[in-house]
Amino acid sequence: MSSMKRTFGAALAIALAAACGGGNSATPAVPTCDAACQDAIAIRSLRETLKLAFNLTLQGKPVGHHDESVDCPLGGSVHVVGDATSNPAQGATNVDLVYELLGCTYTLKDDDPKQTYSMSLVGKVEQKGVIAVQPSATTALGFRSGSVSFRGSVYNPAISYEQAACAVVLQQDGNKLTGTLCGRSGTVDL
Amino acid sequence: MGAGSAGAWGQAPPVIASAPTASTATPTLARPVMVPPKLVGDPTVPYPEGASGDASVVLTLTIDNAGVVQSATADVTQEPFSSRAERAALAFRFEPATRDGTPVAVRIRMVLDFHPPPPPEPKVAEPPPEVKAPPKPGKPTARPSEGIEEVQVRGARGEPSRTATLSRAEVRQIPGTFGDPFRAIEIMPGVTPIVSGLPFFFVRGAPPGNVGYYLDGVRVPYLFHVGAGPSVVHPGLIDRVDLYSGGYPARYGRYSGGIVAGETLPQSTKLRGEYNVRAFDAGALVEAPFANGKGNVLLGGRYSYTAAILTLLSSATILDYWDYQARVAYDLGRDDRLSVFAFGAYDFLGEKTATETLTLFGTEFHRVDARFDHKLGSEGAIRTAVTLGIDRTRLQNDRFLRDRLLGTRTELSYRLGKVATLRAGADVQMDRYDIELNGGDLSPSNANIANAFPSRTDLALGARADFVLALAPTFDLTPGVRVDLFTSDGQSAMGVDPRLQSRVKAGSRVQLLSALGLAHQPPSFVIPVPGFQPGGLRGGLQKALQESFGVEVDLGGSTTVTATLFHNAFFDMSDALSVTTPQVNGCPPGAFPADTIAGDPGRQPTGNGSRCSPRFPNGQIGPDRSGGGGQASQTTGDTQNARAFETRATGSAYGFELFLKRKLTSKIGGFVSYTLSRSTRTANNATFIASFDRTHVLNAAIAVDLGRNWRAGARGTFYTGLPKAPDPTNPGATRLDPFYKVDLRLEKRWQLNQRFWISAVAEWVNVTFTKESVGTNCTLNGCVEQKVGPVTIPSIGVEGGF
Repeated sequence: MSSMKRTFGAALAIALAAACGGGNSATPAVPTCDAACQDAIAIRSLRETLKLAFNLTLQGKPVGHHDESVDCPLGGSVHVVGDATSNPAQGATNVDLVYELLGCTYTLKDDDPKQTYSMSLVGKVEQKGVIAVQPSATTALGFRSGSVSFRGSVYNPAISYEQAACAVVLQQDGNKLTGTLCGRSGTVDL
Repeated sequence: MGAGSAGAWGQAPPVIASAPTASTATPTLARPVMVPPKLVGDPTVPYPEGASGDASVVLTLTIDNAGVVQSATADVTQEPFSSRAERAALAFRFEPATRDGTPVAVRIRMVLDFHPPPPPEPKVAEPPPEVKAPPKPGKPTARPSEGIEEVQVRGARGEPSRTATLSRAEVRQIPGTFGDPFRAIEIMPGVTPIVSGLPFFFVRGAPPGNVGYYLDGVRVPYLFHVGAGPSVVHPGLIDRVDLYSGGYPARYGRYSGGIVAGETLPQSTKLRGEYNVRAFDAGALVEAPFANGKGNVLLGGRYSYTAAILTLLSSATILDYWDYQARVAYDLGRDDRLSVFAFGAYDFLGEKTATETLTLFGTEFHRVDARFDHKLGSEGAIRTAVTLGIDRTRLQNDRFLRDRLLGTRTELSYRLGKVATLRAGADVQMDRYDIELNGGDLSPSNANIANAFPSRTDLALGARADFVLALAPTFDLTPGVRVDLFTSDGQSAMGVDPRLQSRVKAGSRVQLLSALGLAHQPPSFVIPVPGFQPGGLRGGLQKALQESFGVEVDLGGSTTVTATLFHNAFFDMSDALSVTTPQVNGCPPGAFPADTIAGDPGRQPTGNGSRCSPRFPNGQIGPDRSGGGGQASQTTGDTQNARAFETRATGSAYGFELFLKRKLTSKIGGFVSYTLSRSTRTANNATFIASFDRTHVLNAAIAVDLGRNWRAGARGTFYTGLPKAPDPTNPGATRLDPFYKVDLRLEKRWQLNQRFWISAVAEWVNVTFTKESVGTNCTLNGCVEQKVGPVTIPSIGVEGGF
């Protein structure tokens, strides 16, 4: 149905664009993406891959303990183990999970080059905290891993990106994600 | 003053009787004798003011069996002569054409010659102002034509189920249509737009996905370029557009809501062409005979340079569209014609990034229709056709749908004696769908919907027949039936659709029209999008019982009024737009959950886009939507949309339609189109007013000939607001705000010489800059109506032709 929504949205957007004389956002130039920029995109790729894994395995399942595996859409798999409880009136889910990424690959193409990547991940990541559907609750999550390997590309145009056995510590507050990757600081707004 | 003179009529094969020498015709004893209509009286056609030189206008006239001219259309626009000739011809009277002595309706061609007035006598004294002489008209006289034109016996009377018909010449005068015959659909009674400016319509309560579009009998997936764009067929190719809102003729089926049928112009015997250049696109069409008139070729198309303009403006948005039409016809003999009609359209909406272009939405379709037409003497004709086509839609993230289709059809019309005419046909269509929608990161609900569109091969077979029975001079009855068999993804279903139409003449100017019919349709998508046809016939066929009764009165002076009562009953309909009751967006005051500890989002209140009801069922793990949707996260909206998509509803629509029209090409023409209706749905054990029900829909327009080839028009639109969600801040309101707008049009024409004309057209849709209410947004501070727009489209362009 999101396709339907997009169809409607597109049609409506065009009508409105016609009314306003067309789009007005400037064509993005081609800025460079330094190491910090690349790390931020890698952090995004990790978070969104975990999000995908959670939604493919646990969302909609009964609350309680789970031990689930799922193939990632573009290769590899992920194994999710742990507990999840929920408060549907608040739209909040409490999680205490471990994700084991087994070459799980995920790609995102976006008109924002800083949200464009293709990444394959290996390693275990702990996730604890509250996942919320706003506005009556807010997300408060912690992520920790002693070793995650990144292999793929970030940015548009693509820049090759590879990190082996990298320690990760991240905190998510709402949609803001901050922490360290291989000891380097990084911040991402989801 | 000079005047026009009329002459040159056609005659009917295979037995030709040039009046008054009918007895000289035909060696074929068994065949009927056709006598063409004969112009009576002493009609006068004044020479147009401000014109110069001689001109000849070839008119196609439809004359009913009483000798009254029902329509007059110039083959080639040659202003100011052609419009003058059309207006004058409507007042001509004829002795009706006869078949074996029985008056019949015919279509003929007539040449009207204009000659300028002689120069005025030298003045010897200034005349007093009050004695200015009126134009002195001449008398029409016959003149030889270049050959015998054909008289075609046609069903000049409209189908009783046809809501309205507008010719292209009339549509050009309607502000807000940009001269597109198909865009005139929106002004017809019974038609309700989803949102003003978007070409998706409810027809007598049926959703947009239940309305079928046809061009020359060929199904097309959509009629309009993206958004508020023009139609996908060059206007210069269209003869007329008919809307069948229910109880339609047996030749139309597989849609349970309504039929929009466009007919292309017949082949021209002379070179003709048109072009137009506007701020956002340009189009052209040219048609030429060859092989001494045995053949005819037409080429047309339109290209939008919006993308180039946006690039110049350094925009990252790409909006692109084009269409094309090509038609070749060749007469193999007196009774046989072979023709090929190819047409298609392309639309693209994208976003430029630093290195590539991302597809947001792209559609296209292409059709090639090869036809063989054979006349069965003077009694009928048969057409056999083969259609090849491809429909394609592209979405974000490399998702796509493709439908490659192959169809064949045979259509027969044959007169069985003086009372009955048989219209029959059969067709087969195969659709091969190749679809990739589920990329693995769709939410569960969206994945379920995507699974409703599998790659597969669908087959539809149909046969139909009806009899037009002229049981009395004042009474026609048309019983008919069509049978369709559908197969899809291993499932099959059959629909049997009886139809019945009648017409009773109550006096010379009054007709009583009724239509009744059943219509079946496979499950449909929300709006017509190429390739978006659900597979597997899940939930069975949709069904609609359609009935209407109307009165049509000829008020004289090219003015008619039609009043119609209608009722539609819908069963098993897949109408995702209407099966949920309206809900507010966000959390209205007092709606915040009271029995739990709220989180601290930091920026309360946010509200918009969320709901205050539980976001997922109790006892289940909720989704992770960090940063918004995507990554397979389920949303409340996804759940509701999936439920709506799966729901089958019953429903009804009833109402009253009024259509008053004075021919828009008259000096002062216009129309009033009004619909009073109520549409309801029953789904999930609840009955409610359909989400897109509008109680009152009114369109009114006036077109005025200002003289000196200036024409101006104005059009007003009003409709009731959509049903409103319960809103604790305004509990008494049941409807959103109503909508109104005004459109304007101004045109100036120049006749460059006898053949060439050029015209400047300024048009503006929604000069009132009115926004439209589409929902209710709430925050903890209160609720306001969610408005879109204003969708206002100014346009300046140049048109021309020869």
